[in-house]
Amino acid sequence: MSKDGSNTMIFSTLLSEAVKWGRKNSLWPMPFATSCCGIEVMSTLSSTYDLSRFGAEVVRFSPRQADMLIVAGTITTKMAPVLRTIYDQMLEPKWVIAMGACSSSGGIFDTYSVLQGIDYIMPVDVYVSGCPPIPEGLIYSVLYLQKIIDEGLERTPALKPTYEEAMKAMTYHKTPEGLILPSIKTGISLGNGTNEEASKEVPNEVRNG
Amino acid sequence: MRFAMGSSIDQRATYLQLQKAANQKLQDLYAKDLHFELDKINEPILWVKNMPNLFAVICYLQTDEIFKINYLSDLTAYDNIDHIDGDKRFVLVYQLLSLETKVSVRLKLLIDDSEDAKTISHIFPAANWLEREVFDMYGIVFRGHPDLRRIMMDERFIGHPQRKEYDIKQRMPFADNMKTNLDRNPVP
Repeated sequence: MSKDGSNTMIFSTLLSEAVKWGRKNSLWPMPFATSCCGIEVMSTLSSTYDLSRFGAEVVRFSPRQADMLIVAGTITTKMAPVLRTIYDQMLEPKWVIAMGACSSSGGIFDTYSVLQGIDYIMPVDVYVSGCPPIPEGLIYSVLYLQKIIDEGLERTPALKPTYEEAMKAMTYHKTPEGLILPSIKTGISLGNGTNEEASKEVPNEVRNG
Repeated sequence: MRFAMGSSIDQRATYLQLQKAANQKLQDLYAKDLHFELDKINEPILWVKNMPNLFAVICYLQTDEIFKINYLSDLTAYDNIDHIDGDKRFVLVYQLLSLETKVSVRLKLLIDDSEDAKTISHIFPAANWLEREVFDMYGIVFRGHPDLRRIMMDERFIGHPQRKEYDIKQRMPFADNMKTNLDRNPVP
């Protein structure tokens, strides 16, 4: 109650604090669940664990409307550009939770097809350990994310590599003879040529090697 | 073949007898010039010689009264790099089944790295994606396939990862899955 006896209430605060308060209590998640961690996400959202107690209950399956990306599951190298596109489509401010061993580090899948942690392609705010993590783990990560937002901790941006950097990283097709074209058996060809054209150009020893 | 409302155990016994008869017939027909064996659960394995032979066998099995093969359970391959099963590099495996008589037949075909297989997707449409998978993983080309592209790996991927010489941890960095340079630029 104010001094003159009326019912007017005034909170004096910084706008930034108010924005922080609003952001940290309305973290709308976008689940990107590709394997068994997704089951734990569902469990966390359901009534037993009830993530809505912390303001993160409105699951948005459109990245445009979400604040927090929960990556739950194995991400293959073929899935990586899709995930990066979803991250790019989310509007600032946005946060990322890497849930489980696979999305944090590749997990047990140290193979030719699996991305070794989603921090290869995007910045991650919180990693949740476990295979899969228990729902309390995910809740703890959301609470930790609230702490990050509250304290305004510095976050590292991940920018897409330029074309030159990408070409430098691709060393596997450099040989003493020069560039190896994709062989006929891969079924792809450089440029606009069809398969038949590519097979004519490539000599036999390169094709079989 | 139609069954009365018998118990499932009776049906199972009937199926086993049919499988036994089929095995016997297969042995009588092909054991002279092809290698024939039974695996541990009494399923027949027939090692066909070449691609035309495979087509002949499949066509026969489709029309025969005992076999009535009408379903392709699986089409896969394995890398015979240590030459345990033969002189050639790969072994193609065709697992065939009859939905009517429940007779199953496994055809195996040795194939070398340099030679091409032929598609059976005009006989069994299910072979389309299975052949794409075999091509993706082993690099066996199926001639006559309507759309022979990679099905599992990235389209830019080079090599065939299920071959024994492919290092299991050999990942291919592309522009969209290489490590981003986190500290390169300040926050915009």
